[in-house]
Amino acid sequence: MSVLLLIVLIVVLAALGAPLFALIAAIAYLALRAAEVESTVLAVEFFRLAEMPVLIAIPLFTMAGYLLSESKAPQRLVRLTEALLGWMHGGLAIVSVLACAVFTAFTGASGVTIVAIGALLYPALKHARYPERFSLGLITTSGSLGLLFAPSVPLILYGIVAQQLGTDPPVSIDDLFLAGILPGLLMLGALSIYGMTQAPPKQHDLPWNPREALSALWDARWELPLPVFVLGGVYGGFFAASEAAAVTALYVLVVTVLVRREIALAALPRLLREATMLVGAILLILGVSLGLTYVLIDAGVPEQLFQWISTHIDNKWTFLLLLNLFLLVLGMLLDVFSAIVIMVPILVPVALSYGIHPVHLGIVFLANMQIGYFTPPVGMNLFIASYRFNTPVTTLTRASVPFFLILMACVLLITYWPSLSLALID
Amino acid sequence: MKSVLAAIARGLDRLETGVLALLALTLVLLAAAQILARWVGQSPDWLGWPVIGWLLGWTRWIGPWVDPFLRALVLWVGMLGALAAARDDRHINLDVLQRGLQGWKLRVARAAAYGFAALVSALLAQASWGLVALERESGTVLFEGVPMWWSQLVLPVGFAILALRFALRALVLPTQATAS
Repeated sequence: MSVLLLIVLIVVLAALGAPLFALIAAIAYLALRAAEVESTVLAVEFFRLAEMPVLIAIPLFTMAGYLLSESKAPQRLVRLTEALLGWMHGGLAIVSVLACAVFTAFTGASGVTIVAIGALLYPALKHARYPERFSLGLITTSGSLGLLFAPSVPLILYGIVAQQLGTDPPVSIDDLFLAGILPGLLMLGALSIYGMTQAPPKQHDLPWNPREALSALWDARWELPLPVFVLGGVYGGFFAASEAAAVTALYVLVVTVLVRREIALAALPRLLREATMLVGAILLILGVSLGLTYVLIDAGVPEQLFQWISTHIDNKWTFLLLLNLFLLVLGMLLDVFSAIVIMVPILVPVALSYGIHPVHLGIVFLANMQIGYFTPPVGMNLFIASYRFNTPVTTLTRASVPFFLILMACVLLITYWPSLSLALID
Repeated sequence: MKSVLAAIARGLDRLETGVLALLALTLVLLAAAQILARWVGQSPDWLGWPVIGWLLGWTRWIGPWVDPFLRALVLWVGMLGALAAARDDRHINLDVLQRGLQGWKLRVARAAAYGFAALVSALLAQASWGLVALERESGTVLFEGVPMWWSQLVLPVGFAILALRFALRALVLPTQATAS
């Protein structure tokens, strides 16, 4: 009875807007009390944050992303992709997909993409006479595209959480960076092809202009090395993920503040504060969820869950299908960071029992989360786009349906074709 | 009197932002310096060269203390960021329901949600204090010359301030700046 009461209380507090870290900590605290374990365990587990060598990648990439989005880098990215790809049939749609993916990979899917990139592309799409509904759907959907590409923070966070579980085979951030490439490209490709079919007939969006292309390349000369650091560095094996983060953060800091001077020195403290607020919010839920994971594993919850599931589901494909449905709802309700820290410690052991590779699971997890961002009725990007483009959420929901179906098909392909994720890792 | 208090509050805000920015910058610079030092360390004959050796001489100063220091710094930056996030109502929550509330309903929701957060933060502060006390007794070190519990102090102090801050946020409505 009292357990039921507590559950109701927690749900009510969550609905009233209580911070998630407090809810997680409260559950862990109560469970520890019930098991008559000292609550100091919560602090011991929380302090393990200071023992994770890769964790530093999160603040460093987050800072780099904030600095980039405050500079004029979004405009240059859009100009460059327009100049290079705008001449194709459906060029602007492809530009939108690509620019959003690159930007989200660097800044995380925090809705910044819709505001910073979408706001630039929406008028361009309209000008090129794309159907209004298509344009709205494309921008809303693309806001979370790129989650699977390095150096996206959710990808790193999944790696960190999964590493704590000491899985066999192990999960490394570098492997995740590699595993995300082909599934990510699949999504980009599918949306680009759809964009081509929806483009106004017999019309190129922008004329090919070699001088503009060169000038756009020159304009972006300081940003162009960034993908090289991250992709070349990590994919080429020169850097570990945390080293690539340090190099990227320093480089972005020097370029935006000292070379380009698009961020005034006086504005820097406020901006760094903005970035560390997100870092603090993530670290807090990560820290308390380490405590909750300790409690759950101590109580043998993953084993019990597996036993319960395996009596109902005997093969891994059915399990994966149900996992997709579950993750879709989860991604709609929870932001990607909370979803990772809460669910990954429980899901990874169960998935391992079904013989699913933890790196593959990570890609499936994030691919679902990406769709969850704009899944009606409460996907966050629907609200951000509605606010930014002054359009009712219902219109955006209808506009997103074809994109939802296309990406859902991609997710199913990613789920049932593990080698797509695992082909690039040894 | 009120304006003096407001000035003090503004000063404290600036101090907090300043310290946070300073720690964040240290994190970036030291992490990058460590990589450079590692490269130099791999081909130490550079240090023997006239100009380059002088330019890179500082890398000798990057020792085994940097790794644990950086890892502790991540935690410090995170805790200070969490404090800042509490002030701006930016902690991760399910805000679907609260978004639609206004007036006294919003006040009640905030009082419950942030009052609860304050209580939990206080419990976490107490638990962290237990960790600091344990570590002081065991006497482990973060790196040479610095006891582990110094780096852990950020937890009880941070959570205690967090509790106070949430308690304050429970009583006020969001300001225009944070609502947008």
